[in-house]
Amino acid sequence: MRTLLIGLDGATFTILDDLVKEGPDGPVMPFLSKIYKEGVRCKLLSTPNPLTPPAWVSLMTGESPGYHGIYDFIRAEEADGDMFFTLYDSRDNRSETIWSIASRQGKRVAALNFPFTAPPPSNLNGFMVPGFVPWRHLRRNSRPDDLYDRMKALPGFDPKELAWDFDREKKAIDLLSDEERENWIRYHLPREAQWFRIADNLLGGESLDLMAVMFDGVDKLQHQAWQFIDPGLRDGVDGEYCRRMRELCMDYFRQLDGFIEKLITAAGPDVQTFIASDHGFTSTYEIVRINVYLHEKGYLKWKPVSNTPEAVRRENSMFSNLEWKDTVAYCQTPSSNGITIRVARKPGDTGIRPEDYQTFRDSLIKDLENLRDLETGERIISRIYKREEVFSGPAMGNAPDLLLSLRDSGFVSIKNISPVIERRSEVAGTHHPEGIFLAYGPGINRGAVKGEMKIVDVAAVLLYSLGLEVPGDMEGRVAGGIFTEDYLAGRPVRISNLGSVVEKDERSEEMAEDEKNKIMSQLRMLGYME
Amino acid sequence: MEDHKNRDVEDVLIGIAGDLIQDWGLEMEGISVSTKLVADLEFASVDIIQFCMAIEQHYDWKLGFNKLLIKDGSYVPDLSIAQVASFVADALNGGV
Repeated sequence: MRTLLIGLDGATFTILDDLVKEGPDGPVMPFLSKIYKEGVRCKLLSTPNPLTPPAWVSLMTGESPGYHGIYDFIRAEEADGDMFFTLYDSRDNRSETIWSIASRQGKRVAALNFPFTAPPPSNLNGFMVPGFVPWRHLRRNSRPDDLYDRMKALPGFDPKELAWDFDREKKAIDLLSDEERENWIRYHLPREAQWFRIADNLLGGESLDLMAVMFDGVDKLQHQAWQFIDPGLRDGVDGEYCRRMRELCMDYFRQLDGFIEKLITAAGPDVQTFIASDHGFTSTYEIVRINVYLHEKGYLKWKPVSNTPEAVRRENSMFSNLEWKDTVAYCQTPSSNGITIRVARKPGDTGIRPEDYQTFRDSLIKDLENLRDLETGERIISRIYKREEVFSGPAMGNAPDLLLSLRDSGFVSIKNISPVIERRSEVAGTHHPEGIFLAYGPGINRGAVKGEMKIVDVAAVLLYSLGLEVPGDMEGRVAGGIFTEDYLAGRPVRISNLGSVVEKDERSEEMAEDEKNKIMSQLRMLGYME
Repeated sequence: MEDHKNRDVEDVLIGIAGDLIQDWGLEMEGISVSTKLVADLEFASVDIIQFCMAIEQHYDWKLGFNKLLIKDGSYVPDLSIAQVASFVADALNGGV
């Protein structure tokens, strides 16, 4: 095998640098420490909104969201005067993935647990078990068709543990006690082991060119337990519960280190290994209720909420519940960190006139700039991007009109609760634009620390490692400093004159209420809600 | 254009539904045209979406299931295999 990709959702050097340090009992992650010394590493700049869906799809396609068109977990469609949500899936991705590019050139690939890979591409040459799929649908979305039965034969295989368990996470957020938070972390140790066993089985029994497996527990653990593992917050880790939580987290990282070592060993001495995250992590200390602010400024109107269970559920969902006929600008979802401007495209539509768009948007930006800390005068929204500044490309029309970057890197809240700005009762983990990239193996520089790399470059690096040309229309490029001069001299990077090939399925699905609630619960658990 | 008869579509949908639920551990006799997705097959909404996706993949055609699933601004509570098959046949024959 030539190439191994290990995805670590949300991994950050802020944590990993601490875990590879020598301590009284050695490093928590001794094998990663070896990779630090014998490989190359650099910060990996995520997508403009450092979020799982756009970022992993950018990593898999070498394209930015303005090209692949995935901006969030869900997208909105207006019908009958109301907004309906649809989960993005692989068919919404407008760009070809490395799984397809490699497959159509005869390479045999395995891709495990990567989000937005369901349904798998029809030209897949190899194996795929998509992430983000409920257990009841893993069989149908796994390739080849007999892979699910093969997985079932593995010792300890439990699809309910392997897949996203929406019900488990919904229950957890209904009553998030210390005990449930602890259980949440415990849940991810055996879950990662499930993915490892599948990867290990395929490595042992199949001839592959590319093996890629993603461990998403890093992100989930960090959302819920950031305060126990961030070295900068270590002084606050006190008391039996805090120590237990920290040790549990260390157990997780020890196990992960073992998986990394075993996978690399199983892949063989000739393999080039790449480890990448979709985004980094940092602390968030305040809640920013952006739609409350927009309401105060007259851009939106809240929908009155009755006491029916459906109405309450809708109000608590991840998607704004507004009087759409009286709303011209709003934030759709907390994970979007974006503002959508409603433009009346035809008579009867709600929204501003198309010819007023620029003026309206400039005025809205000024209002957002004026959201300030009452004590210090500091801007709460440190940066406001117009979509053409960060999402240019053929899919820009699906992007929010403005992208917000908060001063603490947090996600906004869309809840109708006062005040607009509120300090969190405890520090929480949130996404940061700087993720990680490490490379290790023959032909790769040793011990070097590069500056930084873009997430779209990972796809190009993987294709190069596989001995393939990089499509000429791919944004990502093989960054310098990863491979040795000798290796590059013997195998020059080749840029294809041909572009990537996009296979599109037409689609239109609507998401029913129950599914919305399950997905929303999952997202809320991951910290995209207050 | 190929003429898609309700009966043929029903057979296809029964096969897809059977394939979908094979690991779920449901205790039921079998799937027929009168089988209800929610009441009989215990479909949650995510399962309905996957069912619709599987049908679209089978026919390699965008079928616009929102027209079936949403009525008067609300999601319909349940559907039988026959109801879905009728909709799919109409859509495939250009009637939706």
